[in-house]
Amino acid sequence: PSSNSNPSKPLFLCQPFVKAALVKGSFKTIVVLPKHVDVNEWVAINLFDFFHNLNAFYGVISETVTIENNPTMSAGVNFDYTWIDQSRKLVKLPAPTYIDYVMVWVQSLLNDELVFPTKQHNYFQPTFPSSAKHIYKQLFRVFAHLYWAHFTSFLHLSLEGHLNSLFAHFVAFGTEFDLIDQRDVNGSGVGELMKLWKDQGTLDL
Amino acid sequence: ASSAQKPADYVYFKREPQLFSREAIPRATAAKMRLEQHYKMAVEHAIERNQRRIETEKKHAMRQNQVSSSAELAQIQQRRQVAFERLGDKETHFVRLRRTKIGLDDFKTVKVIGKGAFGEVRLVQKKDTGKIYAMKTLLKSEMFKKDQLAHVRAERDVLAENKSPWVVNLYYSFQDAKYLYLLMEFLPGGDLMTMLIKYDTFSEDVTRFYMAECVLAIEAVHTLGFVHRDIKPDNILIDKKGHVKLTDFGLSTGFHKKHTAQYYQRLLDQGGSEAKKDRNSVAIDKINLTMSRHDQIQTWKTNRRKLAYSTVGTPDYIAPEIFLQQGYNHSCDWWSLGAIMFECLVGYPPFCAESAHETYRKIISFREHLYFPDDVQLSFEAEDLIRRLMCAPEYRLGRNNAAEIKQHPFFAGVDWSCIRQIDAPFVPHLRSITDTSYFPTEEFESVPETPAGADVTGDSKDLAFMGYTFRRMTMNEF
Ligand SMILES: Nc1ncnc2c1ncn2[C@@H]1O[C@H](COP(=O)(O)OP(=O)(O)OP(=O)(O)O)[C@@H](O)[C@H]1O
Repeated sequence: PSSNSNPSKPLFLCQPFVKAALVKGSFKTIVVLPKHVDVNEWVAINLFDFFHNLNAFYGVISETVTIENNPTMSAGVNFDYTWIDQSRKLVKLPAPTYIDYVMVWVQSLLNDELVFPTKQHNYFQPTFPSSAKHIYKQLFRVFAHLYWAHFTSFLHLSLEGHLNSLFAHFVAFGTEFDLIDQRDVNGSGVGELMKLWKDQGTLDL
Repeated sequence: ASSAQKPADYVYFKREPQLFSREAIPRATAAKMRLEQHYKMAVEHAIERNQRRIETEKKHAMRQNQVSSSAELAQIQQRRQVAFERLGDKETHFVRLRRTKIGLDDFKTVKVIGKGAFGEVRLVQKKDTGKIYAMKTLLKSEMFKKDQLAHVRAERDVLAENKSPWVVNLYYSFQDAKYLYLLMEFLPGGDLMTMLIKYDTFSEDVTRFYMAECVLAIEAVHTLGFVHRDIKPDNILIDKKGHVKLTDFGLSTGFHKKHTAQYYQRLLDQGGSEAKKDRNSVAIDKINLTMSRHDQIQTWKTNRRKLAYSTVGTPDYIAPEIFLQQGYNHSCDWWSLGAIMFECLVGYPPFCAESAHETYRKIISFREHLYFPDDVQLSFEAEDLIRRLMCAPEYRLGRNNAAEIKQHPFFAGVDWSCIRQIDAPFVPHLRSITDTSYFPTEEFESVPETPAGADVTGDSKDLAFMGYTFRRMTMNEF
């Protein structure tokens, strides 16, 4: 039985979960561009790692993300993300469909030598910063939906500290490299969370 | 009572993991561990990067203090800039490497250069960089237990972190459904087995050099916390200057079939029953001993390579306590060194016999079978060292530390601190970076260029698993 005094408040904004964390200290050490390292290379490896870690967390609870329970990519009260379909129309998709699209799309970009070069004489295209921003935006939306609609699943599996740290790291990184789209933040549950963390000093960038 | 101290929005939540499928819990654990590992590594990398930058800064700051003229200053500043550009390139390359997936199709085979019990060794060239490596393939189905792979990888991490000039460097490893691939530095001088086949025996001076280097190499392995257990001439490789390195030994510990206790037991049982059926085996020993040493060496040599390529492997250098399953420790490697030293001076190892079973039997009753042929002139010191290495583990030299061996009179005059810097007795003559003349490549002509059944499509590429090896990269890759 939950003794939540304000039952409409999402659990991830409540004590003690809002404070749960895997890592202590400032993310600065691992977020800021290391001296002498190429900025594209740094953004690329971080997106690569965020994608794989987020994918692992999504994989844990994906069995509960069904079309029936998640008809939209919800991230807040009356707040759904829309997908741009092939005819450039904004469409609402069930969350599992949306997330699948995102994950498959990001994976294919990561494997694309033109976008994410790995070979000796291949270089980043001038369009890489804009691709990076797109990828970041879609990963952000997946985080936002997971917090909004599936946080209790993470609680059941005692993953909240890990998830919080991963997301806080993700936000710190997005802030440092100006990747965050405020339109996706304002009005979302994680938007509240980011504010709270800022006030608490969890996010000190 | 405690709720008084709790904030107003404190929530009690009843965790019910049983609501999830059976797979969810291990997946949750894996995701957690993955993230923990990730942050540990991220911090480590940040620290290491800082250290490298500070080192470069220090080096170039010092030089700036010693300047007299302005032209000189300009030159130093220029050099400083180049140094930081190079550092930047390396750091950037390292970051990229973490995203790089590696597969068989990234390499081109130049030649098959070796064969072991579980696969072949090929000289390969990485297509994009043109760099040369030795690629060892291991057939996964032949490995004793699949779940030991993780264990092997963990060991390898330790190795990769602890760079030693005495151990072959590992650069990449990846796998497909059938094989595990290890990409190591290529040692162009071949191995000690090939050298012994070529020269029959070494003089005591030459033997002293190889044995001294092996002592340091084995000591280095022990210092890292490993027991090799399978030191033999095939595993002692020769680098381009003629110095010794031990092959990768992360795989040695409890990994191959031939190392398991039951396996030895079975072989011993088989050997035992055969010996009972054939009581003449003692007589066979006698006949062998009356053979001329030349014949003995020839017989041994014809069989030697075949044995090296067979799954049974050669038991000639394995310490008795390993067969007897009484427990063993690092000093089993010193026994092996004794057996190798015997072979260097005599021409064949001390317990060589017609069959592996026979060799097992002789090793177990080594007191009766360690025999120095009359027609070989060994110095007192050499024979004494061999006998002190090939004895029961409780008396064995080296059981406390390697210094015991280094102080043996056989090694009198060896400068232990700089032996790797002196000229080696045989320095390979190499015409190119892909020269394979020190390998019996003609014996591998029938071996296919790509391992049979390997994934050449590149579909099953694996992350390069290079997280820890940057320090080595700075030395060898740039
Ligand atoms: N890094 C290397 N550079 C050059 N040659 C090598 C290298 N590694 C192995 N070889 C050659 O290949 C031969 C077989 O290699 P190795 O002994 O590692 O295989 P193996 O016998 O399967 O291993 P194990 O001893 O674990 O059974 C060696 O004797 C040597 O001639």
